[in-house]
Amino acid sequence: MRTIFHVDMDAFFVSVEELFQPGLKGKAVVVGGQKDQRGVVSAASYEARKFGVHSAMPLRTASALCPHAIFLDGHPDRYRDYSHKVHHVLTQFSPLVEMASVDEAYMDLTGGERLHGPAMRAAHALHETMKRTTGLNCSIGIATSRMVAKVASDQAKPNGVLWVQAGSEARFLAPLEVRKIPGVGKVTEKRLREIGIRKVGDLAGLDEDFLARRFGQWGLALAGKARGTDAGAWFAGQVGDHQDQKSISHEHTFDVDTSDPALLESTLARLAEKVARRLREQGFFGRTIHLKLRYKDFSTYTRAHTLAEPTQLDQELIAEIRQLFRNTWKRGSAIRLLGASVSGMQEAEGQLNLLDGERKAKARKALTAADKIRDRFGEKMVKLASGMQGDFGERVHENPVGLPGKAPKQ
Amino acid sequence: MEFTVNKSDLVRELSLSQGVVERKTTIPILSNVLLEAAGDRLTITATDLELGIRCSTPAKVKHQGSGTLTAKKLMDYVRLLPETDLHIKFSENHWATIVCGRSRTRIAGMSRESYPELPVMPGALTRIPAGLLASLIGKTIFSISNEESRFTLNGALLQLRDDMITMVSTDGHRLALAEASNSLGGAINYKALLPRKAMAELLKMTQEVPDKSAGIEFAGDDNHLFFRVGDRLLISRKLTGNFPDYERVLPRSHAYYVEFEKEELKASIERVAQFADERSRAIKTRFEGGEATLHSSLSDSGESEESLPVEYDGPGVEIGFNAQYLLDFLRALPENKVQFHFKDSQSAGELRPGGDGGSTYRYVVMPMRI
Repeated sequence: MRTIFHVDMDAFFVSVEELFQPGLKGKAVVVGGQKDQRGVVSAASYEARKFGVHSAMPLRTASALCPHAIFLDGHPDRYRDYSHKVHHVLTQFSPLVEMASVDEAYMDLTGGERLHGPAMRAAHALHETMKRTTGLNCSIGIATSRMVAKVASDQAKPNGVLWVQAGSEARFLAPLEVRKIPGVGKVTEKRLREIGIRKVGDLAGLDEDFLARRFGQWGLALAGKARGTDAGAWFAGQVGDHQDQKSISHEHTFDVDTSDPALLESTLARLAEKVARRLREQGFFGRTIHLKLRYKDFSTYTRAHTLAEPTQLDQELIAEIRQLFRNTWKRGSAIRLLGASVSGMQEAEGQLNLLDGERKAKARKALTAADKIRDRFGEKMVKLASGMQGDFGERVHENPVGLPGKAPKQ
Repeated sequence: MEFTVNKSDLVRELSLSQGVVERKTTIPILSNVLLEAAGDRLTITATDLELGIRCSTPAKVKHQGSGTLTAKKLMDYVRLLPETDLHIKFSENHWATIVCGRSRTRIAGMSRESYPELPVMPGALTRIPAGLLASLIGKTIFSISNEESRFTLNGALLQLRDDMITMVSTDGHRLALAEASNSLGGAINYKALLPRKAMAELLKMTQEVPDKSAGIEFAGDDNHLFFRVGDRLLISRKLTGNFPDYERVLPRSHAYYVEFEKEELKASIERVAQFADERSRAIKTRFEGGEATLHSSLSDSGESEESLPVEYDGPGVEIGFNAQYLLDFLRALPENKVQFHFKDSQSAGELRPGGDGGSTYRYVVMPMRI
């Protein structure tokens, strides 16, 4: 029987802002951008949530619902720093910590009784240590599976602890709305509602064969989830299992849709530069370059190209993605979003080049120097000229630490 | 047009056109061969606009003329006919009737009006013995780049200078250089980029030449290269652009070298490579204390190691290589011994024919960081 903790920071971005600006406390605060900007809410304080504001909601909708809210652009650097602090606290309690995003984590405390005492006592100790060390509140769910632990922490919010004891999972889940199950979104909820299923208990009562017929593999996973076992998607893995990092990506949504080729290519250069910087930071070489392009009407295209040799150099990524862009973009059409990513990651450079070896070595030296400057003085100190016009402030995004390749900077 | 031709003559000449015609062409006429009957010969032409081949064979021509037929269909059908003469007659609507013994077939054709004109071969620059050309191609064709975006690497550099013929190819990871001396007759200084497809077809053409010392007439104009053997003419468009300055990347010297029996080294690499990553094909080579060790490992399938005795007393050096790259060379090398030159894990290694009086054949391979 496992003891899994799900630790979820309460209104993380907002709470971090409050540490720096205590005057924000108790006010409706929305992090993600200014009220008249495009983009979505990254986080909302509990006061703002009372007005129906929630994350992933367009900023303009949020400002209509809660006009008096304080809108902040946010400070991604601060959130990352605090995410690292949170991660550090968690590792004091268990070596098996898996950050699921910037502000939540799974921990395996199986067998930790001798060290931490009963689960409840460990949870309170963690809760206090977190507050003392980071100044932040968190909510903790404890259960025998990751899935139930996650649901429990949600029920415990804000600033609470909830332990679902072994054997009582189904009873705990039964009265909850099906939407509370991780992985059940609008679509599944609607499809379940069509057959009269609203609560998790209703779902658990259904025949597995029926679910499998109606929802396929996902149906079986649903059945498992309704009974409180981890099933489906990455819930299947063990906490702390090292998954290989699949890709690194950066995206940008323009404040105003644009068809200006210079601005588009410059933005793309900036995105590729950021991706390359992260490749080097994490010590990876990427082999496949992906372009994501979304037009004004939301039609979205992705294109990919695999290189002969994996790379972590700005210039190579930029050259490749620019080519993809030129081959894909319908000239003159307004673009809403651009994204650059790499996949096919490997830790060694692999095949060396005979013809470009010297040029690459020079570029690598220059980039290493630039990276050192960035490490000391900040990301904005050194930039490629080609990306200057397309520069943009970093938007708040979820960027978990603790996963391979996303570890805190040493 | 109406003529009679021997079946095996026709099959032999048609087979040369099969590699040239485009299978998936957007221009339908390029899937066809052009047949022209005049005098006492039938001339067959195939082209994909990049590469063209023109050959002829004796025929009894009743009415001269020309027409085009689908290359693949014609070949597939004619090959199945008995070994005897066949009679082909084109009608006004471009269809052809083929009669052979008791077989009678009609094949749809297209007007020759839209068939592209092939350039005319200018005066020959020189003659290159067929066997020599085949050897140079065989030693370099495998290290041509498959990446279409690097179009100057999609062929080999052919260089004629001071009675030397040199062929060089590289894909950026390795470079093969083969050289042979040959009396070129006169002060010739010529170089051009020969596309891979042309090299492959030339190789086929030279293999069919019974006398390997027979000369292939070679010529070039602004855009094309011409190779003629007897009644067969291969015309290739030159690759445009500049081939990299290969002399700059050829190592001038290496710190160490060892010599192997080619077959032993090849067999060892083939076995060890079974446990190399399928995509990277990476194996480790280690030289130390009179031994060369090859090692591969795949975390979830296994690992393999072999050692070969060598004369080596330098420091221990470990270098990663793509096993496929090493095998490509060993399979192309005619000599029985091979020299392996190296310096360290970052520098290019080089394979050369071993023993005495080997041909000039250099193969530079960049290592892998594993």
